Amino acid sequence: MATAFLSSLTRGIGRYALVAALTAVFALFATLAPGFLSGANLLSVLVNNFALLAIVAVAMTFAVSAGGIDLSVGTAIDFASFAFVSLVLAGQPVALAALGGLAGGALVGVFNAVLIAGIGISPFLATLGTLFVGRSVQQLLTNGGNPVYLPPAGVPEAFRFLGHGTVAGIPVPLLLAALVIAGAWLVLSQTRFGRVVLATGIQASVVRYSGIRLSRVTAANYVLVSTIAAVVGLILTSTVTVYIPSSGNAFLLNAIGATFIGTTFDPRGRPNVPGTVLGVLLLGVVANGLLLSGLNFYWQQVGTGLLIFSVLAIGFANRKAAARA
Amino acid sequence: MADTTNGGAIVRLENIVKRFGGAAALSGASLSVKRDSVHGLVGQNGAGKSTLIKLLAGLHRADEGTVEIDGEAYDRLTPHLVEELGIHFIHQDRLLVPTFTVGEALFLGRELRIPGTPFLDRTGMRRKSAEILARYFGLSLPQSALIADLSAAEKQIVQITRALIANPRVLVFDEPTAALVRREADLLFQLIHRLSAEGITILYISHYLGEIVDICDTVTVLRNGRDVATLPVAETSATEIGALMVNRALGELYPKPDVIPGEVLLQVENLALAERFDAVSFALRKGEVLGLTGLVGSGAKEVVRTLFGLDLPTGGAVSVNGETVFSADPAEATEKRLALVPEDRRRDGVALDLSVTENTTLASLDRFSRGLIDHGSERRQTEDLVKRLQIKTDGIDALVRTLSGGNQQKVAIAKWLSRQSEIYLLDEPTVGVDIAAKVEIYRLIGELAERGAGILVLSSDIEELLGITDRILVFFRGRVTRQFTSSETSPDQVLADVTGAHETLRHAG
Ligand SMILES: Nc1ncnc2c1ncn2[C@@H]1O[C@H](COP(=O)(O)OP(=O)(O)OP(=O)(O)O)[C@@H](O)[C@H]1O
Ligand SMILES: [Mg+2]
Repeated sequence: MATAFLSSLTRGIGRYALVAALTAVFALFATLAPGFLSGANLLSVLVNNFALLAIVAVAMTFAVSAGGIDLSVGTAIDFASFAFVSLVLAGQPVALAALGGLAGGALVGVFNAVLIAGIGISPFLATLGTLFVGRSVQQLLTNGGNPVYLPPAGVPEAFRFLGHGTVAGIPVPLLLAALVIAGAWLVLSQTRFGRVVLATGIQASVVRYSGIRLSRVTAANYVLVSTIAAVVGLILTSTVTVYIPSSGNAFLLNAIGATFIGTTFDPRGRPNVPGTVLGVLLLGVVANGLLLSGLNFYWQQVGTGLLIFSVLAIGFANRKAAARA
Repeated sequence: MADTTNGGAIVRLENIVKRFGGAAALSGASLSVKRDSVHGLVGQNGAGKSTLIKLLAGLHRADEGTVEIDGEAYDRLTPHLVEELGIHFIHQDRLLVPTFTVGEALFLGRELRIPGTPFLDRTGMRRKSAEILARYFGLSLPQSALIADLSAAEKQIVQITRALIANPRVLVFDEPTAALVRREADLLFQLIHRLSAEGITILYISHYLGEIVDICDTVTVLRNGRDVATLPVAETSATEIGALMVNRALGELYPKPDVIPGEVLLQVENLALAERFDAVSFALRKGEVLGLTGLVGSGAKEVVRTLFGLDLPTGGAVSVNGETVFSADPAEATEKRLALVPEDRRRDGVALDLSVTENTTLASLDRFSRGLIDHGSERRQTEDLVKRLQIKTDGIDALVRTLSGGNQQKVAIAKWLSRQSEIYLLDEPTVGVDIAAKVEIYRLIGELAERGAGILVLSSDIEELLGITDRILVFFRGRVTRQFTSSETSPDQVLADVTGAHETLRHAG
């Protein structure tokens, strides 16, 4: 299984180019940015710039694989976070509250599923609607957008585990990200469900004509996307011990960016988990490197934009060359 | 001047080599089309016919060889330049954009403008297309109709009209009759005679050798990417052309085993779909091959769609193995072991950007997954079917997009063989398939029947139906108007019912 993962990680010239780009950016910052190569910084890149975005981007990869998109991943993060905090405040055990959080996120997916698979609204419009509705609902729930704090004294130790804990020296967020990545890769590339999702994204009518219940698969897929995103809501809340309305949307654009970087570099142009993960790493390394180079926040954004442009340009050039051969 | 140096050839392709990846689609093919002739181009699926045509169209570039038009060599043809030179194409797999209107599709890229202004001359365009449609097809199509709502034949007419608007000197047809019912095909032949008489040179690709012999002056046979013969049609025959294509004698064209039909698999009673068909009843037995035929709109195609759960019937009942089928749901049909090989294979039959393997196992993934997909057994099954159906592909990981038209059809069939279906609904299964492969598909149908499957073949090729089925139901205006025992009738008899000759007589008398 591990070898299958490695082989699909490195298949084709395109994927090498992505690894090469990552190495180049890495080398650049290693020379330019003081402290970039230190163990502490690299760990911080993984925990702060990689783990959470990787989980959201992997969720996005499912939506894009099915030929859609989910603009409401942030809403799922927020709902999970709100449910988690509220249940803990209500005195529920942390484990139960966490499950409640996941369910809160999944609820957003159910809403999307009804709109997309049930009514037939296009994923872009449906999830955009969910994004807006979700924002209003959160404002209603919080008296116009006030954060919900956990009183510092009353935070159970277990609550902080997801964000601050370690297992065998490995930070829990990183561990969860690894689990999600491995699980998602397995589901998307090694199961019947993943194959059908992919086929739906490529040519939905053939899936229907093959006797597969298209709307069921689509519905399940959007619930899955939101449930994966909900994991980030839990980690985030556990880290900062506060729920801030509509804060989950911060991940949206980078998640889409990473997914499309991975797609562009795939030799067959298919969305894929390893590609997405490399895309997230690339974005994370660049963000951290630019920060350490002393550039201000706005220039960091410009840097990220330039990165996405150049990566996509290289990817397209690659694919064109492959098509001409 | 140029005419004398190249023997009157308007188009000349010399020793063309074209490779895709490692495999050569063309390995030294030559083709020379004389001015004012009707030139046939034939060959098995994957022989390289479409590739050769696409080279001429400027859609592919040759790795070696020369392309001459009017005696002048071009090494960088573009689709635009080729059209300027007066060469137009009805491509096999170029689809019209379904969301366009007829008017947009006809004039896309060469819109007429009101002289001296940048504004579109809508009236002029409407007049011009209406004139061509009426002159050549005796037909009017509303300019605002959506392409998606047209029948296959009408789409074809739009494509031809689009070419005619540009006053072509050469028209190239890549399997034009594949989408047409026989009667419509006859109209196309008349059209070709007429265009030829008007001085347009025709290059014609088809798998119906009868057609080639009927309408062409000269025929070129391609085999494995090379031209193996160019003959005047007057000096050859369909049989000889067929033998040249496959490089052996063809043998029995319609292999059909004797199977005694067993118990009823599929029972259809008084099935109706509003305004499409009514009171359709028949039974399909184990081991039986039942043919359905009829004109476009006769209801035959709609019955097949309804049986597979694609449309909800407005009346009647269907049962499979004695169990009533309740819903309009292809998934339920599939669970009851029905299989549909749809007519529009590139839209509904195969996913072009999935691999041969992924397509083959798409309907039967349950067989290959216990939690995780067992890639090994999935590949073995695919390799097995590729061998059995003689699918010509670069490998089982090749995208189906890279297969030739006929081989794509075989993949669409392989999908259901992998599913081990029991009742096969085959909608025009041999359209676009070369004769050798046709015989293969017929043999396969026979094999399935021997194993106890029931097969429903919808076809407008009546000879084919007579050759491979036990019984034939003829549809006319939404009803089954006649039933034939295949061994006891003739093509003319069936055809008379298909076109409703008897119906009109009955009404007149
Ligand atoms: N874009 C492509 N990439 C890779 N291989 C291709 C591509 N186009 C065609 N081929 C291969 O080239 C060969 C010739 O294909 P072509 O479409 O010319 O056949 P054809 O004679 O038109 O067959 P058919 O009668 O089935 O339409 C086939 O083996 C096909 O798989
Ligand atoms: Mg072809």
